[in-house]
Amino acid sequence: MNAAAPPPALATRALVAGYERDLPIVRGVDFEVAPAELVVILGPNGAGKSTLVKAIAGLVPIHAGQAFLAGADITASPVQEKVRHGLAFVPQTENIFATLTIQDNLQLAADILPRSEQAARIAEVYELFPDLAARRSACAGNLSGGQRQMLAVARALIVKPSVLILDEPSAGLSPKIVGEVFSRLKEINTAGITIVLVEQNVKAALAIAHRAVILVEGELRHDGPAATLADDPIVAQLYLGATPAGREEQR
Amino acid sequence: MNPQILVDGLIAGAMYGLGAIGVTLTYSILRFANFAHSELLTFGAYAALALSSALGVLSAGLLAPLGPFSFGWSLPLAAITAMALTGLLALAVDAVLFGRLRARRSSIIVMVMASFGAALTLRSLLEFVFTSKPAYFTRELQIALPLGGGMRATPDQLLALVLAIALVVAVHLLLTRTAIGRSMRAVSENQALAGVVGVDVRRVIRVVWLLGAVLACVAGIMAGLLVQLRPYMGFDLLLPLFAAAILGGIGSVPGAMLAGLIVGLAEAGTVQLVGAEWRTAVAFIILVLVLLLRPHGLFGRPQA
Repeated sequence: MNAAAPPPALATRALVAGYERDLPIVRGVDFEVAPAELVVILGPNGAGKSTLVKAIAGLVPIHAGQAFLAGADITASPVQEKVRHGLAFVPQTENIFATLTIQDNLQLAADILPRSEQAARIAEVYELFPDLAARRSACAGNLSGGQRQMLAVARALIVKPSVLILDEPSAGLSPKIVGEVFSRLKEINTAGITIVLVEQNVKAALAIAHRAVILVEGELRHDGPAATLADDPIVAQLYLGATPAGREEQR
Repeated sequence: MNPQILVDGLIAGAMYGLGAIGVTLTYSILRFANFAHSELLTFGAYAALALSSALGVLSAGLLAPLGPFSFGWSLPLAAITAMALTGLLALAVDAVLFGRLRARRSSIIVMVMASFGAALTLRSLLEFVFTSKPAYFTRELQIALPLGGGMRATPDQLLALVLAIALVVAVHLLLTRTAIGRSMRAVSENQALAGVVGVDVRRVIRVVWLLGAVLACVAGIMAGLLVQLRPYMGFDLLLPLFAAAILGGIGSVPGAMLAGLIVGLAEAGTVQLVGAEWRTAVAFIILVLVLLLRPHGLFGRPQA
């Protein structure tokens, strides 16, 4: 690695991961994300996209290879330590504490910060998400799908992460709400936070991403600029295994 | 109906409630019914007895009754140490048994069976060390004070009731107003997500064991003080504790205490209205009715 160049915000080296050691789902993935980059991970169902990001976050066992955060090896770090190192993860489902209030969801994340910083940081996040601020005492379980996703993102931002990983944030949301969520993610990325996004909503994800990688059967099959990916026939074949007409359907 | 059942029921219910809080917390966070919890009551009570007796040997003045109560300073001093010892025992059992099973991702039924094994071992050890002969913290006789309305209670009974209520309020405040309480509620709802948010789940589990053990110890000392100590005292409380925990709703501290009081009152009422031989059936009937009619209890959340 070049000593003069900053290390990648996030990187994996020959990463092998899966729930069972004998059945790896992610098979030797090497990938890097530069600081302040927004990368989307695409791939057909069962490709191992979610498993890859869960393994990086510490929710799925890593059987071989390594994961790095800003050059530091986080392969063996417990899940709660990764947050302290600056890695925030927003799972696809059950990504908020439904029985806690909005305030308690944010306070829970803030509890790992020094006590003197907690209130100010929560106030900053409420400024980014005024809808949540207005309902801070409401039980999070009463929020709509879009509001829940916003709360999950807001909670992840509390610790000022260097890297934010989201697993299918558009799942189950209406197109209008997806637009709002993705627009907010773009703002967060523009503010300097590196984002890694796993998505099935190809069109919306490519519209905001700098780069896209495609995972097929647990292996990295393509890595390139997002802007050119949508019209790349090789990628369409890899990703969809179908004709361009099929690709339109997937969108 | 004799109004005394109200006092008798509330006092027994306070004991059940304290024990049930430990059951409900471990159930909601560790996701299994720990049948060894009642042995923590027994262990706590015997630890307090041994320590109190030792203090009495060192200084006979510590055994002199405190004001209107039947016990001297030796008991509260011993109780504090007994709570610490019971907490350590719970942590040790977790480290040796339950923690290892969790690491192996053992199924719930394996955890439950392991808890039966732990209960049997602890109970037998206590019986071996202290024999099955009943023991007492004090032999002092107490006169029940009139409370009005035809009800009477001894100072020890009133102290136990006040202590139980104070502890429930303290635990409720701990859960709702502190960072560790927030973490406990988060782990109870979604352990994986709690880790992602930065909660140290293993630390939360240790705190839950400690908290449950301390409350069990207090409940055991209360039972020993108000009735007697026997190696099977915890085992006899097992059904009322689980009935209270499930009636209150798994995870709900106020629910566990309220349900404990309900079970205690139901038992006291049954003794007077039906007959003492039916007392032990009451908790079982409550348990079955709750599981059939409202499985999530009074304050629990329905399973999705």
